[in-house]
Amino acid sequence: MALIRVEEGVKRYGTTLALDGVSVSVDAGVCLALVGGSGSGKTTLLRAVNRLTRLDSGRVLVRGEPVDGQDPVRLRRSIGYVQQDGGLIPHWTCLANASLVPGLLGSPDASEQGRRALDATGLDPGEFGDRYPRELSGGQQQRIAIARAIAARPDILLMDEPFGALDAITRTEAQETFISLRESAGMTACFVTHDMSEALRVGTHIAVMQEGRIVLQVPAAELVDRATGYAAELLEKSGVPV
Amino acid sequence: MSGLRIGLVRGTWALTLCTMPAAPAPLDGQDRDRPIRVASKPYAESYLLAELFAQFLEANGFAVERRPGFGMTELLMQAMIAGEIDVYPEYTGTGLAAILGETAAGGSAAVFSRVSEEFEARWGMRWLPPLGFENTYAIAMRREAADSLEVRALSGLTAIAPDLVGGFSPDFIGRDDGLDGLAAAYGIEFRETRGLLQAVKYQAIEEGAVDVIDAYSTDGAISRYDLTVLTDDRSFFPPYDAAPLASRAFHEERPEAVLVLTRLGSRIDVAAMRRANERVEVEGRSVAEVAAELLAEIGLGGGPDEEMIPSAGAAARDAESPVLSALPRRMWDNRGELFRQVLRHLLLVVGSLGAAMAVAVPAGVVLERRRALAGTTLRVAGVLQTIPSIALLAFMIPVFGIGAVPAVVALFLYSLLPILRNTYTGIIEAAPHAVEAGRALGMTEWQLLARIRLPLAAPVIMAGIRTAAVINVGTATLAAFIGAGGLGDPIVAGLALSDPVMILSGAIPAAALALLVDWGLGGAEVLVAPRGVAEGRR
Repeated sequence: MALIRVEEGVKRYGTTLALDGVSVSVDAGVCLALVGGSGSGKTTLLRAVNRLTRLDSGRVLVRGEPVDGQDPVRLRRSIGYVQQDGGLIPHWTCLANASLVPGLLGSPDASEQGRRALDATGLDPGEFGDRYPRELSGGQQQRIAIARAIAARPDILLMDEPFGALDAITRTEAQETFISLRESAGMTACFVTHDMSEALRVGTHIAVMQEGRIVLQVPAAELVDRATGYAAELLEKSGVPV
Repeated sequence: MSGLRIGLVRGTWALTLCTMPAAPAPLDGQDRDRPIRVASKPYAESYLLAELFAQFLEANGFAVERRPGFGMTELLMQAMIAGEIDVYPEYTGTGLAAILGETAAGGSAAVFSRVSEEFEARWGMRWLPPLGFENTYAIAMRREAADSLEVRALSGLTAIAPDLVGGFSPDFIGRDDGLDGLAAAYGIEFRETRGLLQAVKYQAIEEGAVDVIDAYSTDGAISRYDLTVLTDDRSFFPPYDAAPLASRAFHEERPEAVLVLTRLGSRIDVAAMRRANERVEVEGRSVAEVAAELLAEIGLGGGPDEEMIPSAGAAARDAESPVLSALPRRMWDNRGELFRQVLRHLLLVVGSLGAAMAVAVPAGVVLERRRALAGTTLRVAGVLQTIPSIALLAFMIPVFGIGAVPAVVALFLYSLLPILRNTYTGIIEAAPHAVEAGRALGMTEWQLLARIRLPLAAPVIMAGIRTAAVINVGTATLAAFIGAGGLGDPIVAGLALSDPVMILSGAIPAAALALLVDWGLGGAEVLVAPRGVAEGRR
């Protein structure tokens, strides 16, 4: 069953057409990489899923329900979200950051869930829990952001260039942590990247976006064989051996 | 004498006077026992005459409330029209030239009848019988300079003026009935003209920084500084007969008190007045004491019940006693009064600041949600900020009367911009990425505000409050001009009496208070800074 489904999504910003009738569906258990150049509409598409962006026309269904009919606050609390710069709350400790969503949901053991999430992203809650975000490295901060996104055990995770700001070594480590975390939790994920090699390493499926449309959507294993045109160009630019 | 007829708000003032309906004074509350409010302008003679009125009324069984030291004619007139004060000493020439904007035609009697008629018709005010002396503008030079140049009259200045520097009250410069008119009437053109406040004018001429000044014919300082008054041989200045000016409510409701004041008519001659001025200005004696003596001299004696303004203390004017050594003792001697002034000052600042915080912080939060309105709103608050303090205080009088209320309202308006602007930008700039992430993870707008934006913006908001508070401590000293009290009282009185020690006894505590407030709120800024944000804090 498609856990996320976008039908004929259109979004304009002024005169710019960000989404041009895009349709996509993401099945349970899939990790879909949205790949494309800047301005291709991938972030807009991602943000339409938890209603951070409202479509001009078309509709979005999450778990079979149209998001327009849902309370956006409740919807967002049920979906994990990671952004490129982490967006950690600077005056909260790492543990407070990680426990945010369980706390919003009123869980009596919010801190415990935050601790487990920190642990799952490879950070010792005892060592990092009481520290403030600015005392941590960029890679550690991004792990906290991922911990915060998964602490309430959502079945869906949205990520906007989650590893984009990290250096190569930190990025690889963070990617590996994420891959095993997602697989063991069985989460469905959708992430935006402009890097085809990252899409291939982390994603189970690849959707290539260009000018507000998806021009190719394939399982990761089939990309190399089936890439033509723009997709092949991206593949070549990223230096993945064909 | 026209005193501190400061022309700062002249344009607006004329407009206000013309458009304002005469005397909205409440006629319902005809409380015969309410104290009679006697006011004055801020210089020795006005203090003295007002104190004389007050003592004489008290001696005749009336309760009196003293409101000394109003900053300028405009403010006093506003307060008279609004029914906030009952009576104050005024000069017929000031009424004619500065208030009615007319030029003199005829002598003393003609001017008196003209102002009587016009004040009655416009505002229902009544000029009581003149006190018996005239205090006109006196153009003065150092005696030795006048002697060596052989000048005795203003017409003698015409030829030599291009070599002289003039120092005049700001309100005297640039007016038809002031310097401009004088220059035209006598064909005088000075090499240079400087605006000098009353407080520094005599020192300036003594040191030779200026050659010619405007003084007043009853001024005690004329003999003290050994000056020669040049005769007005072309009768340019109108007659300035001193008389009590009674508000509509006063003469309608308290005829028996008005009758008492009319008994002062023609009692005080110019010699008696000059002597009394000298005792205050030169000998540094207290206004209440000298007023009581004057009252006794003119055969209407009665004792002072209460001092109108703090006594300068005889020793304070002693040339042997420099300002810096006299100051600590004066402040110590007046510590009770000083303490009350500081409290009063703080009350003005805290009241206005509290109100401004209650309005501007929520308004700043709302503006962040309605950014389209932000530009306009901040511009309006910015314009308020640019209105000169004295003008803003003057605008308050028709609406709020005199005293603490209009002062607090004016200070409130000044405080809005810094707090509003800092709240708005503080909230916008508070970790936008964290706000975005919080929203994406399901925080409500209210939670975003209360848990992320306000705590992060708190130091910025506090910095705005700190700016407003420091501005307020300074501006509140000007509130003394409209009778709000506080540390401005000794500053205004000291400026009027050319008493540097008295000025400093208000100015130094005010400056100290500003530093203290700045330091204290600087500490508060650090305290409200959330942990994890600023380095090295907490």
